[in-house]
Amino acid sequence: METADLSHHISRRFNEDLERVRSKVLAMGGFVEQQLQKAITALTEGDSTLGESVALGDHQVNNMEVSIDEECSRILATRAPAAGDLRVIVAIIKTITDLERIGDEGEKIGYIASRLATMERPADKYREIKHLGRIVSEMVHDALDAFARMDAESALRVARQDRLVDEEYEAIQRQSITFMMEDPRTIRRALDVMWVVRALERIGDHAKNISEYVIYMVYGKDVRHTSLDDVERELRERAGPGGEPRPTVAP
Amino acid sequence: MRIPLQPATQAWWFAAGRLLATVVAGLIVGALFGRIWGGLACALAIHLTWQLVVLFRVEWWLRHRSFADPPDIGGVWGEILSQIVRLHRRKRFHKQRFVQLMRQLQSSTAALPNGVVILNPQREIVWFNRMAGRLLDLRRTADLGLRIENLLREPAFARYLQLEEYANPVIIRRANREECYLSLQIVPYGDGQQLLLAADVSQQMRLEAVRRDFVANASHELRSPLTVIAGYLETLSQDPALDRDLAGPVAEMRRQAERMTAIIHDLLELSRLEQTAVPVGGDPIDVPALLALLRKDVLARPVHPREVRVRIDSDAALIGVEAEIHSAFSNLVDNAAKYTPAEGSIEMRWWVDEDGGHFSVTDTGIGIPSEHIPRLTERFYRVDDGRSRATGGSGLGLAIVKHVLQRHGAELEVRSTMGKGSTFSCHFPPQRVHAERAATAV
Repeated sequence: METADLSHHISRRFNEDLERVRSKVLAMGGFVEQQLQKAITALTEGDSTLGESVALGDHQVNNMEVSIDEECSRILATRAPAAGDLRVIVAIIKTITDLERIGDEGEKIGYIASRLATMERPADKYREIKHLGRIVSEMVHDALDAFARMDAESALRVARQDRLVDEEYEAIQRQSITFMMEDPRTIRRALDVMWVVRALERIGDHAKNISEYVIYMVYGKDVRHTSLDDVERELRERAGPGGEPRPTVAP
Repeated sequence: MRIPLQPATQAWWFAAGRLLATVVAGLIVGALFGRIWGGLACALAIHLTWQLVVLFRVEWWLRHRSFADPPDIGGVWGEILSQIVRLHRRKRFHKQRFVQLMRQLQSSTAALPNGVVILNPQREIVWFNRMAGRLLDLRRTADLGLRIENLLREPAFARYLQLEEYANPVIIRRANREECYLSLQIVPYGDGQQLLLAADVSQQMRLEAVRRDFVANASHELRSPLTVIAGYLETLSQDPALDRDLAGPVAEMRRQAERMTAIIHDLLELSRLEQTAVPVGGDPIDVPALLALLRKDVLARPVHPREVRVRIDSDAALIGVEAEIHSAFSNLVDNAAKYTPAEGSIEMRWWVDEDGGHFSVTDTGIGIPSEHIPRLTERFYRVDDGRSRATGGSGLGLAIVKHVLQRHGAELEVRSTMGKGSTFSCHFPPQRVHAERAATAV
């Protein structure tokens, strides 16, 4: 079916400039993914050097953001892209901001990890953080995959995951408060844990944002402040009786 | 397939004969009725109509039932029909052969324990086998035409692609899977095309971790008794009540204990270098900062040459594994310090040109006889046994340097003049030099 192929073929219709910028964004994404992995490992393994290296590596993320931003401005100025291409550039500019923020949150986790490494590890060795960290890492990874593939359905699935993250976040918060009430000596560490979990929850939000930009890129629909159910319903409507949602791609 | 000419020629003769007979019959019948040309015209009309009917049958068969046997039409058209049938049969035979071949190819590539991805010169995915799909999370048809680095985003892989040192694979840790390590290698072929080979090496990495742990534990075990021995020897040597005859032996024992410690340390480092997979890339290293640190180390030695210079001709960073490069450079500088008298000097230099990045240590020491130079990096090789053992050291330093440089695609160059001094140079390829300043300080 021709129209269903179009969303898959969007990436091939990009000219070289756009393709290069897209690759740079994904390279930045890969680096940020690694930073996140390192930060979580540093925390759960109590590796303070690793935590520090995450913090030190963050300025590389910032450099990448600046460089891609400049490239996008250049493309906008010299090529004046329209329709589908313009949506891609706009989505890229927004995506790198979210990626940079993910980097910042990762840096925070890294700092806390190197601080917590010197303290005594709790009995459960931060199991909940590991679990939440895994969910959030997968979200970031899947969002970037959806970006690479221009796959709006995967993007929608990632956006849905964020609810799970919010629930986990609240559960951990409740648990931490319980610990703090039971034993005031654990307040210091519990607060650090809450900071980490909050950072992870924020990262989940950023991953959700990125997947919303992917949907915007493919369908031309800004879904940022729409409930996901409404989004899904509208996409199905656009599909019509064919079943498969049809992307609106400019000729 | 040779077409027998007989039936076809026969058919044509028959056709010609039939036409002639029709013409003659028409003329005769026409003559009988007094209208010779009318008769001819009628005969020809009948002949034409009959030809049209045959044509119709042929065309109908071709359009609707060309898979079945052709109608039994004699003559030239019959010959044409049997040719068509032959062509069909040949085509079907070749197609079946081709399908069989494809199926064999598919089942063999599906059976491959490793993943294979074919990339075009733009590194877009052209094809991949089932294992590659499983290892790299690739989707059957959707991912064709996508750039591989857009889906495999691990920074180590990106650096591997950038450095283009494809002689060895790179090992990456898969981002979204627990404890999953993949070995990836690019094999260029054909017209700018590339094969990406992927294998799951998680098992090997686990074994490697076990081995490293063993080695680390063993070294601790060995070091502890040594520390005890060295400690007692130190106490003994400082004991004023020690018998004068024993002072010499005790001092010698201390030196030997120190040597053993150095040997254990270097042996472990060497075995680590040999056993772990060849690394690729690494991170940008701030060379000027590293050299400054090494200079401080030399000046902190109890005995060192008076002048220690550092000459930085380039701000560029070196891409590599920091700990290993530090170890290699440190070994070279230590050697220079050891074999240079106190009035002498050492100069460290870092420069970049179109051949790549270069680090050199020049000393004004005793020099090395040229016949020894090719064997310098052998383990435990000594130029001058008596003297080197006295100055300590494990004899493994240059072997370590050699391994580190090998792992970084670099070469060691040694130049020396007896009595004047020596220069040890490390030449790194251009891909290892990063123009921007290094991110992290030493």
